[in-house]
Order: sequence, then structure tokens, then C-alpha cells
Amino acid sequence: MIKSFLQLNTIFISILIESLPFVLIGVFISGIIQMFVTEEMIEKWVPKNKILAVLYATLIGALFPACECGIVPITRRLVAKGVPLYAAIPFMLTGPIINPIVLFSTFIAFGSSLKMVLCRSIFALAVAILIGLLLAVQYKDDQLRKKEVISSSMPKTLKEKWMGTLEHSIDEFFSSGKYLIIGAFVASAMQTYIKTSTLLAIGHGKMSSSLVMMALAFVLSLCSEADAFIASSFQNTFSFGALAAFLVYGPMIDIKNTLMLLQSFKTRFVIVLIAYITIFVFVGSLFI
Amino acid sequence: MLRTYILLGFTFLFFHLHTTGDISKYINMRYSYLSFSAIFIFAFLTIVQFRIANRKENGHHCHDETCCHHHEEDQPKWKKALNYFVFIFPIASALFLPIATLDSEIVKAKGFRIPGFETESADPFGQRQFLRPDTSIYYGKEGYKDLMRKELAVFAKQSRLVLNDNNYLKAMETIYQFPGQFSDKEIEFDGFVYHDKTTNSQQLFVLRFGIIHCVADSGVFGLLTEFPENPHLKNDEWIHVKGKLSTIYFQPFNVTIPYVQVKEWHTIKAPEEPYVFRGYD
Repeated sequence: MIKSFLQLNTIFISILIESLPFVLIGVFISGIIQMFVTEEMIEKWVPKNKILAVLYATLIGALFPACECGIVPITRRLVAKGVPLYAAIPFMLTGPIINPIVLFSTFIAFGSSLKMVLCRSIFALAVAILIGLLLAVQYKDDQLRKKEVISSSMPKTLKEKWMGTLEHSIDEFFSSGKYLIIGAFVASAMQTYIKTSTLLAIGHGKMSSSLVMMALAFVLSLCSEADAFIASSFQNTFSFGALAAFLVYGPMIDIKNTLMLLQSFKTRFVIVLIAYITIFVFVGSLFI
Repeated sequence: MLRTYILLGFTFLFFHLHTTGDISKYINMRYSYLSFSAIFIFAFLTIVQFRIANRKENGHHCHDETCCHHHEEDQPKWKKALNYFVFIFPIASALFLPIATLDSEIVKAKGFRIPGFETESADPFGQRQFLRPDTSIYYGKEGYKDLMRKELAVFAKQSRLVLNDNNYLKAMETIYQFPGQFSDKEIEFDGFVYHDKTTNSQQLFVLRFGIIHCVADSGVFGLLTEFPENPHLKNDEWIHVKGKLSTIYFQPFNVTIPYVQVKEWHTIKAPEEPYVFRGYD
């Protein structure tokens, strides 16, 4: 018992050592964006045409490096400022997945190979665009829980901005690092105590293995900068498609994300959004 | 102030792992530059946090909504305590608990089976990374075949295979890929003993854990060995074996696998570096 706990701990620490540097890079960039990029800058560029807006927002999301935990408040702020829902949501969905840090960590985690990096990006783009188009048809209003007046007073001097960046980085480290540590612990406990045969029994078929990995992504609530390392530790157990589902589903929706969304958006809308993400990722993973 | 200590703790943890060299018991050293840079980032953040905490204590409370959006102060005390405990736990457990080495217990937990030889198996879920290293997932089908042929050329030339830390995984992968090519070749390698419930008294597996990035993605790799007589070895004893490669139809797994007819063997001390790593060039 003690011996197996020590092995659990060793696996747990090794996951943290691998992923913490990426979390550090992530929180720092998130801090820079918080301080130096204004909502107005992004909003000015949203096209009037709905389809164009969806594609454009998806692309912006792809270029925008953010953690899934940091992007929900940003999305809410964008929507409150008048960015249409069908543009803001695809932005929120691709932001945490397609960005240099996440793709680089995916590259490293999957043995310096581009296969999973490409698969993850294309899969995420497709899901985000489809959901954006659906939302454009379905919703006319902003679906926010309540309208709030946001006074985002940005610090003026450059020194203040950099100080704010660092302060935000540390805040972000403590809020997202927590979910990473808990997630790493749960993952290593599963590795140590759950026999592979048990996991295989749940996730044997193509369909059920995708569902198991998606459920896992939801429960573990990993930061997208680090989840590739957890996914690669399941390479022995699950198929490539199921791992891709894990890597796309997790950053789009998970426990901590859902809680944050429920604080900002109407419950009905959050449920509809989760249902869409689940269906698209699941169906998509069957074709990989 | 607690935040400063936690950041300091992480700085020290990464520093400690690098100076003592213990880091190699957790991750593939190929990626150590990442955790090495983390020392400096953590150190820097510690200083920043220290200044922020000081500033707040001096009453210059941050009045800007954009930088104080995490309403830490609103949380009940027990929630805050639990919050920080999550951060303190890994620092403490990494520094004070001994590092475990993966052994036969984990082999049991991870399950154990031998995959068939066809790489393009109809059942992709049957591919387990046990015994036989399979890196095909990292390469395209064609690229993988090319790579395997290249490695086969290297190993097939040698009349005797002497495996060490550097070529262990590559050699194992090639042997499992082309078992026929290696029949009757002499082989020499180290590993720990693993008795499976399917092996008889003269058979046992000699295995090593291979690591791709960190301990979490490890798999066990090695060969079935057959001794002339019961060697009376226990699980996790390290041995050096010398013998002849051959193939055997292994009933429990319904598959023909390579195995070693042991000629000479002796027990050895567990190596300084129990894991083998694979680089991808």
C-alpha cells in the first residue's frame, strides 16, 4: 500500500515537472494579453457577414494564446461589449487549443511528431466553425446572465502594465495550477490503481473509448498547456482517435470551464453549448 | 505571504531536482531544458510576488479592477487553506517522500500481454506498449517502415547483440519487428526479473522500463527467457543474461514471440539508471 502510494507520487511529480514549465509560459502570455490587448482592438475587426465573422473569429482564436480558464472571462467581456455570440464562442473554443504553446507542448508530448498536432488543430477548427454557424442561426441575443457595466480601466504607464502583467500571471498560476495539480494526481492514481484491463473493458470499442476519454477530459479539467502530457500517458491504453477527442474536448469544456460559463451565461445556453461540443467531438473522433 | 512561500517552494524543488540529478528519475533528460528554465521563472515570480505582498501590506492596495479580478479575499478561510494545500502537497511529497522506482508491481497494475506481430493490426486497441516498443504511432506508415529497415540493417550486421542503455529500446523494437532475422543470434542484456502467472518454472521475463518523456508514459520492454533449469529468481532481481535468440509459440498469448535460450547468467546490482530512454531522431 505504502509502496504503491510512493509510485503514485513519483508518477504524479513527474507529470508536474513536465507540465509546469508550460503552465508558466501560458500564464505569462495570458498576463501580457490581459494588459496590452484591448477588447476594442479585437472587436473592431469583426466582419458584418455572419459566416465571415465565424471564420474570422475562429482564426483570431487560433492566433490568440490563452488558457481555457483565462478565456471565459475574456469571452464574456467581448460579448458584453457587443461581439456577437456566434463569433465569440468559436473564438473561445479555438483559443485554448490552437496556439503556439499548446501545439508545442503537444508536439513534445507526442514524441516530437506533428501527427497529433495537426490532427488536434484541424479537429478543433472544424468543431468551432460548425458550432459558430449553428449559433448564428439559433441565437439572436447575447445569452448573458445579466448585463453589467464593465469599466475596464487599463493602467496607463508601461511600467504599470508590466507590473500588472506579472501580477496577473501569478494570479493565473494559482488559479489554473490548482486544477493541473488535482488533475495530475487523479491521473497518476488511475495509472497506479486501476488495472489497464479494467480501463480496456470500459473503453474497448471505438465509440466507448472516445466516450471514456471525453469523460476523463471533462473530469480532469486540465489546462490545455499540459493536457497533452496526460494524454500521451494514455497512449498505451487508448486509440489515437480517442486521444484526439480528449485533446479537443478537454480545452473546450470541462468541470472548471462549465462553472465559469454558468457564472456568465444563461444555464440553458450553457447546456446547449455543451451538448453541441459533445456531439461534434464524439462524431468527429469516430472518423479519425 | 503564503503565495511567496509556495513559489519559493517550487523554485527550490526544481533547483533541488536538477542539482541532485534526481530529475532523471522522473523525466527523459532530453527535455530537461524545460524544467531547468522553470527554476529561473519561478525564482523571478517569487521576487515579484514578494514585492506585491509587501506593497499590499503597506496599504497601497491595488485599486485597478483589471489586476485584482481574483477575489481571493472573499473566499471563506477553509477554502483558501484547501486551495493552498493543493500547492503545498506536491512540493512536500516531492521533497520528503522517497522516489519510487517502477517495478514488477506496476507491471502487474498496468497489465501484461504480448501484441501480435502485424503492425497494421485490425484491432488497434490490441496494441499495447508492453514488451515490444512500438513507436509506429509517431511516424507515418511508410516513414516507420523505412526507419525499421534502417535499424534492421544496423542490428542484423552484428553477429552478437550487446544491449546497453542507449540501444536497448531500438534493438527490442527491431527484434520484435523482424524476429526471423535474429534467429540463432547471440544476445546479451540486463533487466529485472518478472514472473508472469503464465510462465513455467524455467521461464521468466527480463524487462526494463522505457521512458518516452516522463515516468507517467513509461512502458515495460524486454524478452521472454528460458533457463536450462529453474534459476530460483525473485521478481525485481536484476540479472545479466547471455543466450541465443529464437522464436517460440507462446501458448498463453496465442502468438509466436522471440525469446532467449539462456546460456549464462548472473545477478547484478540494480543499475544507477534503472530506466532506458529513447530519443527520436
